[in-house]
Amino acid sequence: MAQTAPHAAHGGSQPAQGRGLFGLLLVAIPVLLVGWLIIYPILAAIVSTLWIETPQGTSFSTGSYRFFFSDGYSLANLSLTLWTTAVCAVLLLVFGLPIALYLRFSTSRFAAYVQGLAIFPMFVPSIILSYALIRTIGPNGTVDLLLNAVGLPKLPSPYLTPWGPVIGLVWDNLPLTVLMLTAGLGGISTSAVEAARDVGAGPIRVFVHIILPRMGNSILVTVSFAVLGIFSAFTLPYVLGPASPEMMGPFMLRTFNDLYDPLNAKTQAVVSFGICLVFGLFYVWSIARNQERRSR
Amino acid sequence: MTSRSALSALRPGRFDWTGLFFALFLTIVIAVPLLVVVTWAFTEVWRYPSVIPQQFGLRFWHQTLSRADVWEALWISIRLSATVTLLSAVICLPAAYAFARMKFPGRDIFFLSFLASHAFPKFGLLVAIAAIFLKLNLIATFWGVVLIQLVGTLMLMIWIPVAAFQAVDRRMEEAARDVGASPLRVFWSITLPQAGPTIFAAVLLTFVSTFYETEGAWLIGAPQIRTMPVLMISYINNQIVVQYGAVLSVILWVPSFIALMFARRVVSNGGFAKGFGA
Repeated sequence: MAQTAPHAAHGGSQPAQGRGLFGLLLVAIPVLLVGWLIIYPILAAIVSTLWIETPQGTSFSTGSYRFFFSDGYSLANLSLTLWTTAVCAVLLLVFGLPIALYLRFSTSRFAAYVQGLAIFPMFVPSIILSYALIRTIGPNGTVDLLLNAVGLPKLPSPYLTPWGPVIGLVWDNLPLTVLMLTAGLGGISTSAVEAARDVGAGPIRVFVHIILPRMGNSILVTVSFAVLGIFSAFTLPYVLGPASPEMMGPFMLRTFNDLYDPLNAKTQAVVSFGICLVFGLFYVWSIARNQERRSR
Repeated sequence: MTSRSALSALRPGRFDWTGLFFALFLTIVIAVPLLVVVTWAFTEVWRYPSVIPQQFGLRFWHQTLSRADVWEALWISIRLSATVTLLSAVICLPAAYAFARMKFPGRDIFFLSFLASHAFPKFGLLVAIAAIFLKLNLIATFWGVVLIQLVGTLMLMIWIPVAAFQAVDRRMEEAARDVGASPLRVFWSITLPQAGPTIFAAVLLTFVSTFYETEGAWLIGAPQIRTMPVLMISYINNQIVVQYGAVLSVILWVPSFIALMFARRVVSNGGFAKGFGA
């Protein structure tokens, strides 16, 4: 920390190899932590759910996976999770994209306020949000109070239904969606948009022909990131969602903590890894590509 | 439909109806639920169907703050967050400096390896780690929770500071070296003042996000280590006095508010999105 990188022209006395080793030394602990607490647990989870330890030694078995995919309750939880993730991803784009477009191209005095509010949920922890939503859209919550005050009938409350977590997760993930989409829109020059407008293109055509092709990739990255976060979300589904079926996050916690069943909890985790693999790979691949482009 | 009107904001000289729409929509959706919580925290009696509480007061603040479990959880949360943030800063900031400035074998691969923490569904990863901790007897211990929360901070504490160090003007550093400043002096007088504010924001965000981390703390810490968010979940589940949850929410939100004050600049100018690889 205390030493600046010796520049080739200045720190000529130090051999290049020694500098390389010093750099490796500085990054060693965080890199080892990634190896020990991310890569190794994932591999260990895969291996230990396939090679089961028995008193006679370890033997290969797909039993825990066969159980997961034949158990009605596990499958119901998985399909609820897939449904929630898909609905949230679509809703995030439906809300996030117009806001990001507005923020990218607007110069009005509302823009700063809209940006501030759109980013604000990032500073509201899920647990406070859960509580706030119970008091707002829960039974006898604020929405009910207001509807009652103007003489309208109560709406069915989304609290403890699959829509509860959907509302919470969209609220919670909106800031990063908007930020990542706005960053993606930053690469589109205003002059390209103006040129298209000058030759008479309407807003829809500008969006479809100029903007969409240039930000397709950042939309996919944003969706991948959101999917990875939502698929195994815990706090919001646990507090706002139905008790049965439940999403994978609460399901894994209950299997691990309450049922004290690490094997099946690990199996559920590996199934989640498998389903999210495509999104994870795409996320890493596109960021690696961006990094490469930036460093050139 | 909305994207069409969003683009019309380009045309000058028109009232920004789109902006007004987004401003009102977000105010209702984002601000109202939070105002409801604040109102509940200062309410003594609020019976359905009155739109505003029948009686305001601070009675439930006294009751909440006189509970021993609240203070215990607060103390554990602060100790955990401080330990994790300090450890994270000590191991990540030198690494970030090395990534930004030094050449060594495997640099790019190691740098990208931190993405692994975001490339898997988080709770699945936590369960896989918990299975390892089970064998190491780290379940329900302070240091077990520290380790699992530390992993979650790595990417933010490396990627944002790397961007900060890279943004420092190299020519100023070289000029200082040319007039005879020592490496330490250059770092202290040139590099740090330029990279400092962003790094400070990263440290602050790490502290705050660790403070609110719920999943790892529960999975690894239960039942001995009970942090504020975990306590809050049990308050919500057990449906004890509504106001306890509201008062706790308001108290819990204070660290976040401080982060909001300091880190907003970094968040809104895209530095934060970089921390997630955008």
